[in-house]
This record gives sequence, C-alpha cells and structure tokens, in this order.
Amino acid sequence: MTRLACLVALALLCGAAAAAYSQEAPKRHRRGLWGELGSGPGYARIACTDCEDVVGATGTTGYLRVGGVISKKVVIGVEFFSFLDKAFGFAPEDSNAVAETATAAIVLLWYPGRHGLFFKGGVGAAFGQFAVPYDSGGVAVADTSGGAGIGLTFGLGWDLPISRKFAITANAATFVTALGDVALPGRKVDDFIATIYQASIGFTIR
Amino acid sequence: MAAPVLAVLAILQFDSVPRPRPVLAVAEAALINVFVNRVDAWAFQQDWARSGTRAWIKNVRLGWDWDEDAFPTNMFAHPYHGGLYFNAGRSNGLNYFESVPIAFFGSWTWEYLGETYRPSLNDWFMTSFGGITLGEMFHRVGATIRDNRRTGLNRTIREISALPIDPIGGFNRILRGQWRGLGPNPPEHDPGAYVLRLGGGIRFAKRLNADSGFWSMGTFLLDLLYGDQVGQEYKAPFDVFNVRLLITSQGINALRASGRLYGANLNSPTGRNRHMLAINQRYDFIKNPAQSVGGQSVEIGINSRWLFGSKGFGIRTAIFGDGIILGAIDAPGTGFGERNYDFGPGVGARWEVGLERHGVRFVRLFSQIEYIHAVSGASADHTVNFGGIEAAVPIARRLGLAASSTIFGRVSHYTDGRTRDARDYPEARLLLVWTKVGFSEAQR
Repeated sequence: MTRLACLVALALLCGAAAAAYSQEAPKRHRRGLWGELGSGPGYARIACTDCEDVVGATGTTGYLRVGGVISKKVVIGVEFFSFLDKAFGFAPEDSNAVAETATAAIVLLWYPGRHGLFFKGGVGAAFGQFAVPYDSGGVAVADTSGGAGIGLTFGLGWDLPISRKFAITANAATFVTALGDVALPGRKVDDFIATIYQASIGFTIR
Repeated sequence: MAAPVLAVLAILQFDSVPRPRPVLAVAEAALINVFVNRVDAWAFQQDWARSGTRAWIKNVRLGWDWDEDAFPTNMFAHPYHGGLYFNAGRSNGLNYFESVPIAFFGSWTWEYLGETYRPSLNDWFMTSFGGITLGEMFHRVGATIRDNRRTGLNRTIREISALPIDPIGGFNRILRGQWRGLGPNPPEHDPGAYVLRLGGGIRFAKRLNADSGFWSMGTFLLDLLYGDQVGQEYKAPFDVFNVRLLITSQGINALRASGRLYGANLNSPTGRNRHMLAINQRYDFIKNPAQSVGGQSVEIGINSRWLFGSKGFGIRTAIFGDGIILGAIDAPGTGFGERNYDFGPGVGARWEVGLERHGVRFVRLFSQIEYIHAVSGASADHTVNFGGIEAAVPIARRLGLAASSTIFGRVSHYTDGRTRDARDYPEARLLLVWTKVGFSEAQR
C-alpha cells in the first residue's frame, strides 16, 4: 500500500513537473541586436531562356546576417550572401570565367520549438558580375558584365549554443537569383536564373 | 445571470476559432493541387497536367524558368489560386504568419509536381506573394459576410455569398458543421470601421486601342476600406486593408489591394490629429487594351489625419515608398515567346490627399510612380506614373454621384539599342454610387 502511495505521489510529481515544464516560457534563441557570419561550399545551377540545358558550378559562399527580434519565436534580419566561382561557364564547354553573385535580402527566421532549429525565408535584391576572358586579335582580354535583379532565399538551420552570448550555426539554404539579360562578349544570355544551394557554418553573436 | 451562462455554453458548443491544425492545412494544400491537376487532366484533357515521376525528375533537374502565360493568368488567376493555399492555413486555425509557408509550399509543389512544364519562377512569386495578400483579405471579408449568430435563410445566403470569396474556408465550415452551428463570431468578423462603396456608370477612355480615338463603356466599381488606417491601433496583419475593383465590359479593369502588415503610432493615440507609420503589403492588377501592369510589393510610409471644425470634416494624407518584389508590364517589344510583357523587381512612391467627413472621402487627389527593371523579357527599364482626382457628392441617403479623372503614363528605356517608347492613357468615370459606412463615434 505504501509502495502504491509512493508510486502515485511520484506520478503526480512527474506530471506536475511536466506541466510546469510545458508552461515555462519558451526560450529566446536570439535577443536584441544579433549578428551572424559564416561560410561554406555552394553549388549553382544556371538556367536561361535560350539555354538548351542547365549548367552546374561549384564555388565558395559567404554570408553576413544582422537583425533584431520580433517575438520569442521569430527574428528578422538583413542577409548579405555571396557566391564566387573562379572557373565558371555559361555553357558546359566554358570554365574560365569568374562569376560572383550576391543577394541582399530581408529574412525572417522562425524557431518552431525550444531547440535551435529554425526555418528561414527572405526576399530582396540580387546582383551578378561575370569576368569573361575572350580572344580579340589573338589577345586574351577579360570583359566584365553584370546584372541586377531579384533574389529569394529559403532554408533551415540550427543554432548550437556555446555560451549565453555565442552560438555556432549550421545552415542549409537555397538562393534563387534572377538577373535578367547578361551581355557577354559575342553573345547574350537571356533571362539568367541562378539557383544556388549552400551548406555553411556560421558564428553567431546573439 | 442566465446571459453569462448561455454565453459560456455557446462558446463550449461552438468554438469559432479552431485550434491550429498545421498538418491538415498542409494536407489540404496538397489536396488542392491534386484536385486541380486531375480536373485539368481528366475533364479538360490537358497534356501539361499529365505529370508523373519522369516530369518530376526533369523539373527537379532543370529548375526554374520563366513562363509565357497570358497577363490575367499570371497576375490574377495565380494569386487567386495562391489564396486557396493560404486559406487552407487560415481556416485551419493558423495565423497570418503561420499560413505564409503554406502558400509557398502549395505553389512550390504545384510548380514542380503539378505540371509537365518546367517550374516557373514568376508563378511561384505571384502565387505565393499574391496569394498571401488576396488570401488574407478574402479570409477577412468571408468572416465579415458570415455571421455565426444568424439562422435560417439569412444564414444560408451569407454562407453561400462567402463561398466564392473564401472557398476553402467555406469547405472547411461545411466539413465541421459550422454552416448551421450557432456561436460567437471570430474577431475578423467585425472590422471596427469600414466604408463600402458600390457604383455603376460610364467610363470614357482615350487612346484605349490606338493612339487616337475616344471610347466609352459601362463600368462597375467596388471600394472597400476595412478598418481605419489612422483610427485603429495595430493588432494583427491586415487588420486594416483597402480594395478597389473596377470591372468593364472587357473584364476586370483593375484590382488593387493593400493591407497593413505593421503599424505604429507616431503621436498620441488620443490626439485630435493622428499620424501612423504603416508597412503595407500590396497587390496591383491593371489590365486594359492600352496598358497592362501589376505586381506584388511592400510599402512603408505615414498615414495622417487632420480634423477641423466640429462637424467631422478632416484631411487625410498618405506618403509611401515601396519595393516591388516582382512586377509585370507590357510595352512594345516586351516579353518573349507568346508572352507580351516583362517581369522584374522595382521601386516606387505614392502620395495622396483626401477631404473626408466621418471617415468617408469626398475628394481625393493622388499620384504614384513606379520603376520596374526587367529580368525576364526585353532588356528594358520601365517607369509608370499614375495620378488623378476623384470626387463624390451625396445626393440622397447613401446615394451619391462620383466622378474621376486619371492619367496613366509609361516610359520604357531599352538597353539593346531600341528607341525609348512612351505612352499615356487618360480616362474619366462618371458613376452613381451607394456608400455604406461603419465608423464608431470614437473613430470619428
């Protein structure tokens, strides 16, 4: 009988503890002004309206995110993202252009639970610059072309706290970059769209 | 004593604000896609709807493209479709922000899995962003039309009337037996303040089909101001919005909507004169044989109201700057393939001054300028300006005469050597209007 009473008391205690835990205010993942800087590999898939197929290229990505807090679960920020490939090609046979794309976007990070998992979505402006070497009278000359357009990003990440103020953040994200027409030496790439997949590690001050 | 008990019983019997059902919302968005796809494949025998694993693999491998659909399809039908996804979230108890991913998810899965065509980037933008704007407004208008306290024929008429505006919400209400259940209304049912204006009359247009000539035709107007831009504290996204719908014999001439995403007081909320910062989400669709322009944008600016005298007269002003997430515009040489217009992001600004009495505007002077940089179509930059004056004079209880004169101009600069192109399009309207106003004394 005593054992049964103890078990009931223990069950009630566990239940009360669980209830108290569930009623605890959700943890704040980031407070006040926060910032995040990171880098990682990226893969870009290039499409255009007159291209017969898509072209893939790997490169290095980097990003900087700075922002504030909307609520316990949602933070807002500005994200600057860049992709660099020094052996880029608009066609499968090309691989000697230097391509750099950048996105400046307003992003929202949503933390659905108490853990550090977050989902990201954002929209903003995109920029691209392409230095393309070509032969003119037997001399190799680098011609630079660029464009500006629209950028969209979405993805997910995980804040791994290393102290109250700092965290290591893992990210997996997609950046859709639509730049319009890019004029290259001897040809024009119509309605350029680059979809960049990024995996990165960042350092967060939160 | 009985009244509170009855109120509690009513709440227990009928929970008008359902608990969040995110899994059901996602499932309904997927079901919408399956339903539309199968109707197109089986009933309309559309080859593009016969998608399967081979088309899905191809779409995932090739990724985004720009499509060649007609202007009304891309700029009106897709946002309306996006509203269905969004309202799968709203009618399953998710709030505005929680429903946003549902719109993106529904559109993304349709683009990648619902068609044999390559996924269209413009469709994803228009369906998602446009669907959020139209969806939230349809959700709120639907909730205002429906009334959970009514019974009988009145109740049935209200439920049926709300169905075309918010079909997913209506469908869920049928499933949950809420078409007949009595209970409290959701908070969206009462906008607090509103002005509804309906009108019919004649539209006069110059340069409608060619650069000379003069046309006149019938026109219908619907103006809805839901909430008060300066009189109401910010509570939730789209707690205040406005819609203008213009229909002529050529179809929808204009559908323009703007909803408040965020608002903040810039002076004392109890002051006689009011100034409020607002961030609005905007949807624009303007289509006529002379000009087609539209897009999804976000604007930030200040709404103000200055009252004078003791008879409720005041001046309202608004000044806003905007960013166009993705716009569309036609001009000579624009588009590609069968599409005759460009897509692109942009920036712009607008201002307006209005004379009002008890929240109803009698005279309104306005102007707007937008710049669109094409990223699909011609190598071009387009500038659009739109301005005019509107006036309404009461002639009897709720009835009045309204007149407007507007001019719509466009200038296109091409970076591929083509010469600059400019066009303007003046038009005027004369309408008999019926106005219904709901402003509380405090808001006056």
